[in-house]
Amino acid sequence: MHNIIFDNVSKSYGNKEVIKQLNFEIQEGERVVFLGPSGCGKSTTLRLVAGFEDITDGKLFMGGTCVNNMAPGKRNIAMVFQSYALFPHMDVWENIIFGLKIQKLGKKEIEKRAKDALEMLHLDGFEQRLVKSLSGGQKQRVALCRAIVKQSPYFLLDEPLSNLDAQLRQQARQNLVRIHEINKSTMIYVTHDQVEAMTVGQRIAVLRDGTLQQIATPREIYDNPSNAFVASFIGSPAMNLITADIVDGHLFIGKVAVPLPDRITAVLTGKHSVIVGIRPENIHITTDDRAMLKGSCRYTENTGNLQTTQLYLADGTAIFSQFAGETYEIKAGENVGIQFLWENVLFFDRETEINLYVREKGENKYGNYRN
Amino acid sequence: MKINIKKELICHIFLIAAVIISLWPVVFMLSASFKELNQIFQSPLNPLPSSPTLENYMTVLGRFPIFDFIWNTFFIAFFVTFFKLTTSLLAGFAFVYYRFKGKELLFNSMLMTFFIPVTVLIMPNYLLISHVGLLNTPYGVMLTELADGMGIFLMRQAMRSIPKALLESAVLEGAGPIYLLRSVVFPLVRPSVIAIGIMFFINSWNEYFWPLLILKDKSQYTLSLALQMFISAEGGSEWGIAMAVAVLTSLPPLILYLFFQKFILNTFMQAGVKG
Repeated sequence: MHNIIFDNVSKSYGNKEVIKQLNFEIQEGERVVFLGPSGCGKSTTLRLVAGFEDITDGKLFMGGTCVNNMAPGKRNIAMVFQSYALFPHMDVWENIIFGLKIQKLGKKEIEKRAKDALEMLHLDGFEQRLVKSLSGGQKQRVALCRAIVKQSPYFLLDEPLSNLDAQLRQQARQNLVRIHEINKSTMIYVTHDQVEAMTVGQRIAVLRDGTLQQIATPREIYDNPSNAFVASFIGSPAMNLITADIVDGHLFIGKVAVPLPDRITAVLTGKHSVIVGIRPENIHITTDDRAMLKGSCRYTENTGNLQTTQLYLADGTAIFSQFAGETYEIKAGENVGIQFLWENVLFFDRETEINLYVREKGENKYGNYRN
Repeated sequence: MKINIKKELICHIFLIAAVIISLWPVVFMLSASFKELNQIFQSPLNPLPSSPTLENYMTVLGRFPIFDFIWNTFFIAFFVTFFKLTTSLLAGFAFVYYRFKGKELLFNSMLMTFFIPVTVLIMPNYLLISHVGLLNTPYGVMLTELADGMGIFLMRQAMRSIPKALLESAVLEGAGPIYLLRSVVFPLVRPSVIAIGIMFFINSWNEYFWPLLILKDKSQYTLSLALQMFISAEGGSEWGIAMAVAVLTSLPPLILYLFFQKFILNTFMQAGVKG
């Protein structure tokens, strides 16, 4: 078993606690992404797993063994660093076989592994090149090569794609997933990029200020964020979060009363004020007079396939809407009706920001609204 | 940027004067070594010998065991450099890569050694060498010079410029401290090692006072000690010969410096120390 278990893991620098009681398990062969804004503790958590930082409190288990006091070199980990950490005084080949030489593997085995890895990442012919003569994308692939030749059961990646341009990034992402499908190592991937998180991760752990906010599949995180922070962090444009009051089974959004369906009223019993969360793609613009809300279009962006619109309600609340561009051409200044489906709406507690209404699987339906 | 010509001019005049003052002894040494004895005193300010002669050099090479002196000096300078470099590398490495109690205190106390005047150390060091019976041997000269605070400081500065991720990645691959030092750290700080090594070598090569105390036999003399033989001679100083020895003494460090100038400057800039 090559799983990783965080058992109440905390990390402090002096009096400052930067990681607060992490409790979760990463299954063998799973791809988990640590996602969060800078300074949330995701890289520190990764460094705890690698052994570069000491755990202040709690226990970290890897493959059933507590590794709190185990040296990094003994943990059998392969890692790709953000800066790639290639040795500038060695050529590509020497960089790749660096760890294998320390492991004292046979010459034939070393050559076979290195050649296979080079071929897999289309680096054949680069063996004798010095690191400094490589482009960013090539360096990234060499770093990946060096990690995979180790054939470690654990694979850590610290923002490995952040130094690449957008096009290379997508390619590199695919490479990573492809390699993981072959190696099936237990993988932790740290990023602040939500697109990377959604595409690479089988599960995403969202961190904020050193605490775990939610760990779930990308779909689950998107559909059922555990709190308003997770909801706003995932998705672009971000989810609309609007404070609203509840009076007599009605939701007051921007001074307009919208009747709540009974099943939602039942869940929200006792709440007088909530944060309403609706994803931009679930806000529909209509010319129908019977629309739930009325607003005016502030500005609109058309990217060909998508039209993103910022709308203002009568009281000045801003709402983003995003829909397929061809359905309806909207102009700035135009007054429109705003419509949404209740099953696409989330409710968060006003104080704790916790999700109050966790939807069942399949309850939300995207893009099924017809004007 | 506007250049103040007047200010620049004054600065340059000062600098040129400083260069002339510091270069004059060198020029004097060089020209005197090619002059006959009487001409040295006839026109000491004229740098050009009226009838250049190699006589002084021939005398030095013929009459004195100059190669023995060179060998003695080299022997001491080489081993002093070797040991100082080894200790600086190891100590610098420990100061950068290990976390241990009292590290800062230890490092600061090591820096404090810079401020202890050499003259204060001479007495205890001399007694030590005398007790262990190494007086009048090159080992007595070397023994007190096996480590150097400045070397440790400069090595530490050089190693601190290596990105942390490089070392972490090597550690993750299972590299132990010695392997890490040998195959990652050392190759990356090699320019600094060369520069610091040359500095050690030149210092040891030029050292006068300490060898003077330890070495008694002429057969053990280093070049700088040999030099005094020509100056303090009872029958009047043989300046031409002395200057020829001085030229021969200064050549090796000068050549070393010229070859590795780039490394030396870089190392001191990196450490923020102005030479």
